[in-house]
Amino acid sequence: MPTWKSFDQQPITHSTAHHLVAIAELLGEYGYARVSDVARRLSITRGSASITLKNLKNRGLVTEDDRRFLGLSDEGAEIAATIRAKKLVMKRLFTELLGVDATQADIDTCKIEHLVSDETAERTTRILRLLESGTAEAEAFIDALSRRDKPSGDDVMSYAQEVAAREDEAGTDRRSGEKAKQDVT
Amino acid sequence: MSRDDALRTLNELFAEEIEAALRYLHLAVTLKGLDRLIVRKTLLAGMSETLEHAQTVADKIVQMGGYPSLNVTIDLPAEKTTGPEAIRTALAFEHAALDAYRELLESAGDDFELGDFAKEQISVEATHVAELSLLLEE
Repeated sequence: MPTWKSFDQQPITHSTAHHLVAIAELLGEYGYARVSDVARRLSITRGSASITLKNLKNRGLVTEDDRRFLGLSDEGAEIAATIRAKKLVMKRLFTELLGVDATQADIDTCKIEHLVSDETAERTTRILRLLESGTAEAEAFIDALSRRDKPSGDDVMSYAQEVAAREDEAGTDRRSGEKAKQDVT
Repeated sequence: MSRDDALRTLNELFAEEIEAALRYLHLAVTLKGLDRLIVRKTLLAGMSETLEHAQTVADKIVQMGGYPSLNVTIDLPAEKTTGPEAIRTALAFEHAALDAYRELLESAGDDFELGDFAKEQISVEATHVAELSLLLEE
């Protein structure tokens, strides 16, 4: 299945991620979470929140007591913690390494926090740890990056075209080599 | 509660009711199986009643000198539902509406007129929730 299609099959959707994280944050900040609190935090109607939370309760990710206070199951809490950790890591990547404005970084992080694989998050963490290590190599890299011109949309397009051309060329070379081998044999 | 706060809360309730009406309609038309014969009527009645609530809230907003505004984003999945599942879904958003009116009552404070309005709506919504709950009992 193509990657973009598999996004639709993800067990943790964008909406699910936001609801789980909202409950985790509310529990951390106030010690309790109700449907109305989740709705307010996510700027949606209580009706919308209640439908999503009903599905999350059916999946065993969210709990609700007799007084209708919400909680997270062990699995729900683990998913929320993972998403929050990935969110933090990816946002730091955008702001600290790429120099993206904090607001824009929040928007971009929001789009991917629940989709980023563990491997990508782990490798990103390694880069951030290296950059924050204060070693001479890390400082030199950050310094070199900061002296580069601000990138533009045109730069993104022209870079993509250059890479595509290089890959085409490499493919042509490889096919020529294979044909040459076949001719010899 | 200031007039602006009251109007903002009422507009939120207006959105709750409109969204609930759309959900009732969607549940009614996606219902399959024998339950369709009975539950569909209940859901369509719920839709009509919820639209009436929306109108009541909108009228209240205008009476208070405001104008109803609507900002809803609704995602209704393209999948069939069963009678009991549709009732459980309806109960979830009806409970949410009941909670919203209870919050309005709590925050109405000295505004007795708004408090009375909230009480009336709570009574209607509570009855609705009770009736839906009865449908799920064996």
